[in-house]
Amino acid sequence: MGNPLLIMWRQIFVDPQDGEKADRQVSLPETHEQVATGILLVLQRMRIPVIVLIVIFAVSVLGLSLAPGEDFQGRPARMGLFDSFYFMSFTATTIGFGEIPYPFTTAQRMWVTFSIFLSVIGWAYAVGSLLALMQNRAFRQALARRHFARKLRNMREPFLLLIGYGNASKRVARSLDEMDRRFVVVDGDEDRVAEVDLASYRADTPALLGDVTDTARIVLAGLGYDRCEGVIALAGDEQANLDVAMTTALLRPDLRVIARSNSREVTERMRAFGAPDVVDPLDRFGDHLRILLRSPAAYQLMMWLTSAPRSPLPARRAPLPQGRWVVCGPQHICRELSADLRAEGLEVTAVTEVEPGRGADADQVDTPALDSADIEHAAAVVAASKNDTTNLWLVERTRRTNADAYLVAMQNREVNSPLFTAVGVDFGMIPAEVVEHEVLARLANPLLMQFLSQVPHQDDGWASEMVERLVDRSGTLKPDLWRIQLTAEEAPALTGPLAAGELRLGDVMRSPNDRQRSVDAVPLILLRDGDSVLAPRDEQQLQLDDELLIAGRPSAWSALVATLTYDVTAAYVVDGRIVPSGWMWRRLSRGDARHEDVRQ
Amino acid sequence: MNLEKVVFGFFVLLAATLNFGFFLGDPADSAVHNVYELFAAVVVNLIAIALKLGDRTQIGAVQLATSLVASLQLITAALVWAYATGGGDELTPETTASVVSLSGGALFANIVSVVLLVSETISFQRR
Repeated sequence: MGNPLLIMWRQIFVDPQDGEKADRQVSLPETHEQVATGILLVLQRMRIPVIVLIVIFAVSVLGLSLAPGEDFQGRPARMGLFDSFYFMSFTATTIGFGEIPYPFTTAQRMWVTFSIFLSVIGWAYAVGSLLALMQNRAFRQALARRHFARKLRNMREPFLLLIGYGNASKRVARSLDEMDRRFVVVDGDEDRVAEVDLASYRADTPALLGDVTDTARIVLAGLGYDRCEGVIALAGDEQANLDVAMTTALLRPDLRVIARSNSREVTERMRAFGAPDVVDPLDRFGDHLRILLRSPAAYQLMMWLTSAPRSPLPARRAPLPQGRWVVCGPQHICRELSADLRAEGLEVTAVTEVEPGRGADADQVDTPALDSADIEHAAAVVAASKNDTTNLWLVERTRRTNADAYLVAMQNREVNSPLFTAVGVDFGMIPAEVVEHEVLARLANPLLMQFLSQVPHQDDGWASEMVERLVDRSGTLKPDLWRIQLTAEEAPALTGPLAAGELRLGDVMRSPNDRQRSVDAVPLILLRDGDSVLAPRDEQQLQLDDELLIAGRPSAWSALVATLTYDVTAAYVVDGRIVPSGWMWRRLSRGDARHEDVRQ
Repeated sequence: MNLEKVVFGFFVLLAATLNFGFFLGDPADSAVHNVYELFAAVVVNLIAIALKLGDRTQIGAVQLATSLVASLQLITAALVWAYATGGGDELTPETTASVVSLSGGALFANIVSVVLLVSETISFQRR
């Protein structure tokens, strides 16, 4: 019989040792201590129930062995301690083999009746205490942490540590999963951690419940592992993100940190520790508006390249109106936005919110100031309050007085976006979405940020041509991005022409199947000795140790790898020569390699 | 006075005294070794184990180890006794000797336990 009590016993008393042994892999102290705490707690609380069980058992066995019995002939025969123990064992565990070795006398049956009730109480108490402890929060969390640590140890690939699991994190997590990157989630909210399991990612994603400002917890969650390749702190609380950025910079300075901040002060403090990538959605809001003001095509291109994998090309937005803009929102947002817009040569009227004083509700827009802002004649109105209701009200109010105004609104909560659509917002900014784009831009490829930082300085025509080229070569779904390093290691087949400086980009980009055609990819940026060439053309000369960022279909990637690494493919693609691939044929045909129609 | 310490000391000492009482006497003579005393020693040792569960101090861990050793020895002794008397036979001097020597091993572990208890008490008073 598979005794459930035995199984529980094993779970509680045997596993802890295994856990302790395995957790020693975590390099920093205190982590396995934490895991053991819950188990010790259970052991301590089980003292009394176990003692009660032992005493009940001992009393029953002793009493039964002393009770007067008779053998078959009616002679007095006591049961003996071992027989009593045997009888009480199968009785107390409800197996019940019957009266041994002889039928019981009345005195023995009276004692057994008493013992049965006693042992039932004892077991009920012990099992009840055990089940109550199983429900114990500390114990369950200890088990969950052990489970998490085991999953993490079995995970062989490098992984990212995702701190916080809010809207922005969920978007990033979904994209990371589609990019086949592994990650681990830590959040302080039990429901959110449960959501990770429900999200059904392709890869198994360990999630840990815990205070993210607890250093030991972060170490357990990933900092203690060499395979951790970066930390993304997107918790709603910017102080927690600051804490994580600081902890990572101090304990693992080699790790990459991307942290979300909501204010300039926290951004400054984050920058004090190492060189984290700080993402401030409110700050980026102004930058997005600036890019959109300059060139809708550039905005479209940047949004597309930083969206989730295989996203369709977003629609190009209409140009923003020039003229006078009215910005409503809290003081620091107003200041940032006004500065950004004025830098683009716009006239800006700022309506700051009343500082939340005692008794007054927070985020109260100063109505007299709003009246004097002359919204009726504004070209555009930005509602940037941190309260969606206020933003909706501002948009609606503007629409009634000035039907032609361009309406920009901050959509703080994603669930409210149908409301904003209904009220007729022209440009809505969802902070979580901005954070997603910013994080993906930094994670997708190390060269992508170099490319993106130069795009806003190009004109609209350049950007729209770039979009057209990308769509032409790789379709309307977001292209994959790769970095190619033209080094002797990564491009052995091209080392000769590269060193001679006679290789042009257009030659490398030819398709190995038909060199008249190009592979389905577009080079985005070329890096050479710290200088960069944006969107290099086919005539671009290539040199050894150049780096390229290439966007295109997955099939183009394998084609390019073939060109870079196989001599035979390289000879055909670059020169149009068909070189025999076997040694024997190469010997035989030396000197008269067939030339196809070289270089049209 | 700490009631927990009283209870703990009581059981550790009782385990040792019961064990000693059973061990005392001619090892081959079953008449001077009462089996109920062995039974009591097993039970008290098991209770001593339960009392030491979940103690995270160093001395608590060693205490737990000694109790485990003592219980293991005593249970083995009880098993030998139960096996030898299984068919209603009397104990032979050889089996009696082996039961008693097993309990002697347990007695040693129990003495270590008592020494630990005493030394812990003394070091506590010195502070």
